[in-house]
Amino acid sequence: MTAPTLLAARPAVGRTDRPPGRSAAPARARETALGLLFVLPGLAGLGVFVIFPLFQAVYLATRGNDILGNPTRSVGLAHFHELFTPEFGTVLWQTLLFTVLVVVPGVLLPLALAAPMTQRLPGMRIFRTAFALPFAYSVSAASVVWLIMLNPGVSPVNWALSLLGIPEPNWTTEPGWAMATVVGVTVWMVSGFNLLVLAAGLAGVDEEVLEAARMDGATGPRQFVSIVLPMISPSLFFAVVTTTLAALQALGQVQIMTDGGPNGHTRTLVYSIFDNAFHNNNSNFGLASAQGLVLLVIGVLIAVVQFGVLERRVHYR
Amino acid sequence: MNRPGPVPTVLTYLWLGGAAVVLLFPVLLTVLGGFLPSNALLHEPPQLFGGHWTLENYRAAWRQPVVPLAPAFLNSLFVGLSVMLGHLVTSCLAAYALVFLRSPLRRPIFWLFLATIMVPYESIVVPNALFVRSLGINDNRLSLVLPFLASGFGVFMLRQAFAQFPRELREAAVIDGCGHLRFLVTILLPASRPALIGISVWSFLQGWNMYFWPLIISSSNNSLNTLQTAVFALKDNEGGSPAVLLAGITITLVPTLLLVIFGQRWLVRGFTAGAVK
Amino acid sequence: MRTTLRRVAVGLSLAALTATAAACGSATANSSDATTGTDAPAASALDGKGEVSIGFWHAMTGKNGEALKQLTDQFNAKNKGRVKVDLQFKNTYDDTLSAYKAALNSGQAPDVVQVYDIGTRFMIDSKSTVPVQSFVDVDKTTTSDIQPNIAGYYSVDNKLNSMPFNTSMPLLYLNKTAFTKAGLDPANPPKTLDEITAAARKLTVKDANGRVTQYGFGAALYGWFLEQWTASGNQEYCDQGNGRDGRGTTVKLATDDHVKLLAWWKKMVDEGLAPKLDSNTTTADNAFTAGTVAMTLESTGSLGGFLKSSEGKFEIATGNYPKINATDAGGPIIGGASLWVVGKGKDDAHKRASWEFVKFLSDKDSQATWHTSTGYFPISKGALETEVDKQWVAQRPQFQTAITQLQNTPLSKATQGCLLGAMPQARKAAEQAMQAAVLSGTDPRTALEQQEKALATPIKDYNQSVTN
Repeated sequence: MTAPTLLAARPAVGRTDRPPGRSAAPARARETALGLLFVLPGLAGLGVFVIFPLFQAVYLATRGNDILGNPTRSVGLAHFHELFTPEFGTVLWQTLLFTVLVVVPGVLLPLALAAPMTQRLPGMRIFRTAFALPFAYSVSAASVVWLIMLNPGVSPVNWALSLLGIPEPNWTTEPGWAMATVVGVTVWMVSGFNLLVLAAGLAGVDEEVLEAARMDGATGPRQFVSIVLPMISPSLFFAVVTTTLAALQALGQVQIMTDGGPNGHTRTLVYSIFDNAFHNNNSNFGLASAQGLVLLVIGVLIAVVQFGVLERRVHYR
Repeated sequence: MNRPGPVPTVLTYLWLGGAAVVLLFPVLLTVLGGFLPSNALLHEPPQLFGGHWTLENYRAAWRQPVVPLAPAFLNSLFVGLSVMLGHLVTSCLAAYALVFLRSPLRRPIFWLFLATIMVPYESIVVPNALFVRSLGINDNRLSLVLPFLASGFGVFMLRQAFAQFPRELREAAVIDGCGHLRFLVTILLPASRPALIGISVWSFLQGWNMYFWPLIISSSNNSLNTLQTAVFALKDNEGGSPAVLLAGITITLVPTLLLVIFGQRWLVRGFTAGAVK
Repeated sequence: MRTTLRRVAVGLSLAALTATAAACGSATANSSDATTGTDAPAASALDGKGEVSIGFWHAMTGKNGEALKQLTDQFNAKNKGRVKVDLQFKNTYDDTLSAYKAALNSGQAPDVVQVYDIGTRFMIDSKSTVPVQSFVDVDKTTTSDIQPNIAGYYSVDNKLNSMPFNTSMPLLYLNKTAFTKAGLDPANPPKTLDEITAAARKLTVKDANGRVTQYGFGAALYGWFLEQWTASGNQEYCDQGNGRDGRGTTVKLATDDHVKLLAWWKKMVDEGLAPKLDSNTTTADNAFTAGTVAMTLESTGSLGGFLKSSEGKFEIATGNYPKINATDAGGPIIGGASLWVVGKGKDDAHKRASWEFVKFLSDKDSQATWHTSTGYFPISKGALETEVDKQWVAQRPQFQTAITQLQNTPLSKATQGCLLGAMPQARKAAEQAMQAAVLSGTDPRTALEQQEKALATPIKDYNQSVTN
């Protein structure tokens, strides 16, 4: 839940309140002290569990460990060298692939559902609630349900496909399909929330504008793109940002559905961190920390790109 | 506003209806599957409808001793509420200081809070895990929530909300001799209720849906399973009977399903507050 | 309100302080233990101590967990006033071991812990346990009642480190009904890869659209199976005499037999005789009980579940674990988990109490109960001779295969199994290679060589982590 917040930063920054002071100096000192006291709990929590660990991650990344996992001798930059191997390159590539494959349909599908729902037709509210239901699923619930659904031998989906004469895919055991499956679950999960966001955005658009841009007639779609989309660009932007982060940080669907397999073809950066540090008795905290730092860099880069480039094109009203 | 013509109407319903069939199938399977005897699912064609209904799977899922769901439910509730309360308290105080209390450090502190938002949690999960393990509180629920009690995002959201409070009102209150805390609690917080509800829903769901962290913590103490890790553990132990598994999952989904069905407004507000105007 | 807030603030600052303190403290925590305690106390250690309470961490679920509870209750009743065992369930084997690691760090270790076979090397290296052999020596008894092949896995230099408890070995499971239907003799199951192929051709059934409705063969690409195949060929899985003459440094993944096996497996899939399955055994189990595959590989522990799920649908028969080549002269390794008596930080009374409990669980009556209520292989020779046990086996002729298979397996370093600290990673690597060859179509030798090479790092890391 990183970036969207920064969005509205500007309008509020720089607001200063000057309470009517009598004796300026002591009152000001007292106010400063009180201010520090007030931010202390928050700063302490974030300091201990966000800022300090960043430094500790750098330290851990240079250490080996004993059999219980405690950091020991220095290994220098050995863990960082492991980041420049083809294996880790594959992990990064798959992370990128996964993210793009999730974000594009994960935003477009709900948009394609939300747009016709702006028409004043009976039943639209029911549709909205229905399409939002996947949002109720936690990642483990969604993954396990999909696994049952696609379980070879007992899969109702395979059965339906066989009726259409389509051979059943090896959902989680063939490299391409495995990636498609974890992407599919993720798109399904995020579509629920994005639908709510985009529907709320569309609800704020003037009825007349919508009417003009309605999907009837040949000019409809083009008008939708050129008129309505800019008007809901904050919602779109928000959906893109949150979906990107959700995809980048995805762990459960990979760990539960494919465990990174087959043969590492669904291994993503976050899964790799989990695997190196906590899975299978690996306890390779040094390498996991080094990979965590890569994730940090990616996170910051995404924030910069999204706010530097994308946000300029977002129209706030 | 005019209704669309008959052809687009039919197309709309066709598209939405078709999409609903595909997108809702997993939901249907989850909820109905739990009410069916095990072999009705492992059947070609799967007998989702008709046949005899049973509560047996729900009983089995609730009673199985391997991954007890009741304590997991309590743990999830504890995590959700603690994260929510933690965020509320720390964020309200910090946001108040950042908006109303003058200090030369105000701006750097604000940027510090903002900077923490950019740190993906997974990049510091290793040092945090080692740290929390070293505290020797393996058996304590606190280890599930300790790293998540403060939130830069929460501070930011409330700061936006507080900044909209009319300055004149606050000055009037101060003249009346109203102290900072009293002003915060009796005037500012009630006035910022929409933002507070938003951040509460957001924080609660953050905690409720967490997966990576509880997975690590519960791996060395399974009495600290949350519902999310319980579902995973249940899959390992009840893999042979999908109907029981689905019943268990349905139980874990009840709170969020209710939230989606009846609380959509809060959801959108909670997640988009401050970001989409 | 003001005080509450201050308390919160102070609390958080305190948290910050403890943070620093704990970070500094964790380095020294290990040296503070008074007893390293790896020697065994005699029975007199319990005298005059009142009731000694011990904690036992295990990973037994379902009916296995219930049977364990029943045995524990029996023990507690028998030893009232002397020893009381507190059962603590720790979910999976993986979780149990990671909990044990964490507990050693924080000084909250249990008294007895159940650890899976591949955690054996780690447990020895942790230097936190009392070898079972020491107790046996102190008590001047023998381990002669334990099946030698079972004790073999947990023995180094003929000294038993931990007490085997729940043991199982792999079998070939057959859908008897499908066999008979296809004109095959279920009493004469396939013994080699070639024979599996031949049988699978007859067993595979397609519907009118050419869609396979029953595959001849199908098993999880589970690393354990590869280890079993190696042992069945009487080959060692890792160097240094399967890690028993010294610390192992390489796992022999890229062997001719393994290449042959994976090429065969791939061909089975290509010919449509086997479905593509992953490394998750549950998926393969479901496929077998749903009748989708007619032959599968699983451990003896799955017999009960299979019999229950297939009830009314088809009958089940078993065969010896197949061999890669007809001439292979080894046999499967006996897997499962064993019980370790924790010594680190424990006084003599606790160590002795733990041993009393472990001894109880391994005697012939307990093992007969254990075997008949769970389906695990009894570690005690005597257990198989008890009336309860004989009756149980008579009702389940499928289990007789396992008993014969064990008796026919020669005890060698190969069938003892590979002892390696990085064995969990090695198993995973084997799975990766199996997946690469069978599912993604990588050349089997390339896939195996890649994983063998990749394993070098974790093995080296582990061996280094032991020394510092």
